[in-house]
Amino acid sequence: MKKLLLPASLSLLALTAAIPLSASAEYSVTDEVKVLQGFQAGGGSDALAQLAQPFLRDILGVNFVNEYIPGAAGAIAWTRLGNQSPKDGSVISITNTPMLMTNYIINDAINYNIDQLTPIANVVTDPGVIVVHPDSPYQTIEDLLQAAEENPGRITIGNSGVGGDDYFSTIMVENATGLKFEKVPFSGDGPSATAAMGGQIDASFNNVGIVYGHITADSLRPLAVFSEERLPMLPDTPTLKEVGYDVVNGSSRGYSAPAGIPDEARDELIAAFEELATNEEFLALAEERAFYIDIITGDDYMDMMKRMEETFIEIWENVEDDA
Amino acid sequence: MDSSMLLAGILNVLTWWNLLLIVGGTLLGMFVGAMPGLSATMALALLLPITFSMDPGAGLSMLASLYVGASYGGSIAAILLNTPGTPAAAATVLDGYPLSQQGKAGKALGISLFASFCGGLMSGIALLVAAPLLGILVLKFGPIELFAVAVLGITIIGSLSQGSVVSGLLSGGIGLLVSTVGMDLITGTPRMTFGHMNLFSGISFTVALIGLFSIPQALLLIEKSGLSVKRVANKITDRLLPKLKDIKGLMPNICRSGVIGIITGLIPGTGGDTASWFAYNEAKRFSKDKSRFGKGDVAGLAAPEAANNSVVGGSLIPTIALGIPGSSSTAILLGALMVHGILPGPNLLTEHGEVTYTLIWAVIVANFALLAVGLMFTRLCVSVTKVPDGFVACAIIVLCVVGSFAINNSFFDVGLMFAFGLFGYWMIKAGMSPAPMVVGLILGPVMETSFQQSMLIGGGTFMVFVQSPIALCLLLLAAFSVIQSTPLLGAVVSKFKKPA
Repeated sequence: MKKLLLPASLSLLALTAAIPLSASAEYSVTDEVKVLQGFQAGGGSDALAQLAQPFLRDILGVNFVNEYIPGAAGAIAWTRLGNQSPKDGSVISITNTPMLMTNYIINDAINYNIDQLTPIANVVTDPGVIVVHPDSPYQTIEDLLQAAEENPGRITIGNSGVGGDDYFSTIMVENATGLKFEKVPFSGDGPSATAAMGGQIDASFNNVGIVYGHITADSLRPLAVFSEERLPMLPDTPTLKEVGYDVVNGSSRGYSAPAGIPDEARDELIAAFEELATNEEFLALAEERAFYIDIITGDDYMDMMKRMEETFIEIWENVEDDA
Repeated sequence: MDSSMLLAGILNVLTWWNLLLIVGGTLLGMFVGAMPGLSATMALALLLPITFSMDPGAGLSMLASLYVGASYGGSIAAILLNTPGTPAAAATVLDGYPLSQQGKAGKALGISLFASFCGGLMSGIALLVAAPLLGILVLKFGPIELFAVAVLGITIIGSLSQGSVVSGLLSGGIGLLVSTVGMDLITGTPRMTFGHMNLFSGISFTVALIGLFSIPQALLLIEKSGLSVKRVANKITDRLLPKLKDIKGLMPNICRSGVIGIITGLIPGTGGDTASWFAYNEAKRFSKDKSRFGKGDVAGLAAPEAANNSVVGGSLIPTIALGIPGSSSTAILLGALMVHGILPGPNLLTEHGEVTYTLIWAVIVANFALLAVGLMFTRLCVSVTKVPDGFVACAIIVLCVVGSFAINNSFFDVGLMFAFGLFGYWMIKAGMSPAPMVVGLILGPVMETSFQQSMLIGGGTFMVFVQSPIALCLLLLAAFSVIQSTPLLGAVVSKFKKPA
C-alpha cells in the first residue's frame, strides 16, 4: 500500500520542489487553496497552473493543491465548482473560455452556468489563427474566401472539435461573410494542425500558441489572425478586422471561484492577479514558455464571459435552426 | 545528421548521476506500468514539474526511462496475474498467463523482457537514424488512411475468436457498440449517456479493460481457493534468462513485431494498445502451429511485448521530426522539451539538436537499463505466484479500485469498472473471450471518427478510400485477411493445387 501512494507523494514533491517558500501569509480566509482542473495533468490547463501558481503562492502565502477531474470537456469539474464546492474561497478552478460557456449552451444535460461563479481573473489568451499548407494555392485570406464562394460548402476547414473556440470561429466567419465551409472536427488543436500540414484539409482554424513553431519553420503558413490588432510575433499576418470582418476570437484560460465567496477573499485573489500582471519574472517565464499573457480581473472578466455567452448562444441558436 | 550534436547528446546522458536517474526512472516506470490504471502518461505528468529545475540531460533521461519502463511493466501483471497493467499489455495476457499457469512464469517474464528490450532498442535506433525520413510518412496518414488502418485492425477480431467464431464476433461487436458511448465528435450530440455527464467523454478504455480482465480473474481465483485445500506452490525452477535456442527461433518474430510497433507508433492516433494486437495477429498468421496460440505459445508472448516497446521510439518520431506529439505520453515529453526553451516545430533535430539527441540517447540507454533492472526484479515479481489465491484475488480487486479511480479521480469509474468486471465474468462462464471486445473498444472510436472525417473531406463519397494508395492497400489487406480466415481461401488454394 505504501507504494501506491507514490504518485500522490510525487505530486506533493513536485509542488514543494517547484515553489520557493514564502513567509508572508496575506490570504486571510484559508491556508490552502484547492484548484479544480477539468483536464488531464500535463495538458494546457496544467501548464498554466505550473506557470502561475508558484508566483501566486509567493504573493498570497498559501499552498495551491491541484485536483484533476477530467471529463466532459471540463464540465465535470466546473459543475463541481458551481454546485458542490464550499463558498469560502478555499476552492477555485481554472476556467477555459469559451469552453466554459459553450459546454452548457450546446448541451442541456450540463447544469452549471457562469452565474454560479465568481470570475477572478483571466490569465492567458491564445488568439485564433487561420493556417494552410505552405504549398496551398491560397496566398491570402481573400483567396480562401474566394474559393469558398466558388465552391460553397466544399472548402474543408479543420477545427479542434464541436464547441471549441475554433469551431465557433469558423461559424463566426461564415456568418460575417455569408459563405459556407465544410467544417471538419478533430480531437484537439494538434490533430487539426497536423491535417493541414499533411494537406488533408484546405485550412485549419487554430491557435497561435499551438502552431507558432510550425509557422516559423515554414511547415504551416498563416493567412489571418482573429485578434483586435496584429500580433507582434506575426507582424505580416493581417487581422480579420483589416479584411473587413469583425471576428475576434481565441482560447483563454483564467481562474474562477464559486459564486458567493466572501468579499475579502475575492478582493485578495483579484489583487494577487493584478500583482502578477506586473511581475517581471513571471512575464519573462511566460514568454519563454510561449504563453500570451492577457490578465483581465474581476468585473471585467465577468463582462468578458457575459459577452461571450451572449454571442455563442446566438450563434448556436442559428446552427440549431439550420440543422 | 550533425555528428557533433549526436555526440553532445550521448555525453549529456552518460554521466553517473544521469545513469542513476535512468535506473530510478526505469524502476518507477516498471512499477507504474505494473499497476492497472496507473499509466505512463500520468507518471510523466507528475514527474514533469520535478524536471523543470534539472538540466536537460538529467530531466529527459528520467522521463524517457520512465516511459520505457512503463511500456514493459504492464506485462508483469499480465503474465503473473492475468491482469494487464497497461492497455498495451492486454494482448500479452493471452499467452503470458497460460505460461505462468504451467509454472513457467520465469521463462515468460524473461522472454517478455528480452522481446521488450529488442523492440525498444530497434525503435531507438530507428529514431536515431531515420526519424526525419519516417517523419514524412506521418503526414501521409490522414483520416482516410487512419480509417483503413482501423478496418485492418478490426479483422484481428476474427483471428482472436478461439473456438466459436460467432461468440468472437459477438464479443467484438459488443466492444464496438460500447465504444460509441459519449459525445459524437462531428455533431457534439451525446449518445447513450442517459443524460449522465460522466459518460459524455465516453467510457474510459482503461476502466473497461481493468474490469474485463482483472475482476473475472479475481473471482475465478476465489472460486479455486475454496475448492482445493492443498495448493501446489508454483516452484520457480525455470530460468529467467531465455535460452539462446529460444531467442534464435523468436528473432524473426521479434523483428517483425518491432517494425509493426514502430509504424503503428508513428501513425498519430494509434499506439501501443493497437500495435500489440497487430503484432500478435501477425505472429499467429506466420506461425506453423496456430492451435498453440492462447495456450502459452512463446511467439504469442514475444510479439506484443516487442511491439508495445517499439511503439515508444515510433511515437517519438513525429514528435522529433515534426514537432507533433504522436500520443498523450509524447505530448508530455514535448512539454519537457518546451521547458528547456524549445518551441514545438520541425526544427527540433536541427536548431535544437543537442537537447533532442539527448532525448533519443536517453531512450536507447533506458532500454539497456530496462534489461538490467528487469532481470534483477522479475525474479522478485515471480514470487507473487507463491502467494495463496485468496490473497492474490483480494489484492487484485484493491488494485482495480485504486487504478480505475486514479484515471479520472472519479468514483463513477469505479462503479463502471465493477459493471464491466461482472460482465467479463459472465463472458468467461459463457465461453466468450474478452479479447475481441478489447480490440473493438480500442479501434471503434478511431474507426468511427476517421470515417466521419473522411466523409466530410471527401464530400460524402466512398471514392476517397480508393483514391488514396495507402488506404487502398490497407483495405485490400483487410479483405485478404477476412478471406484467408474463411473456408473460401482453402477452396481456392486446393483447386489450384490439385492439377500439380
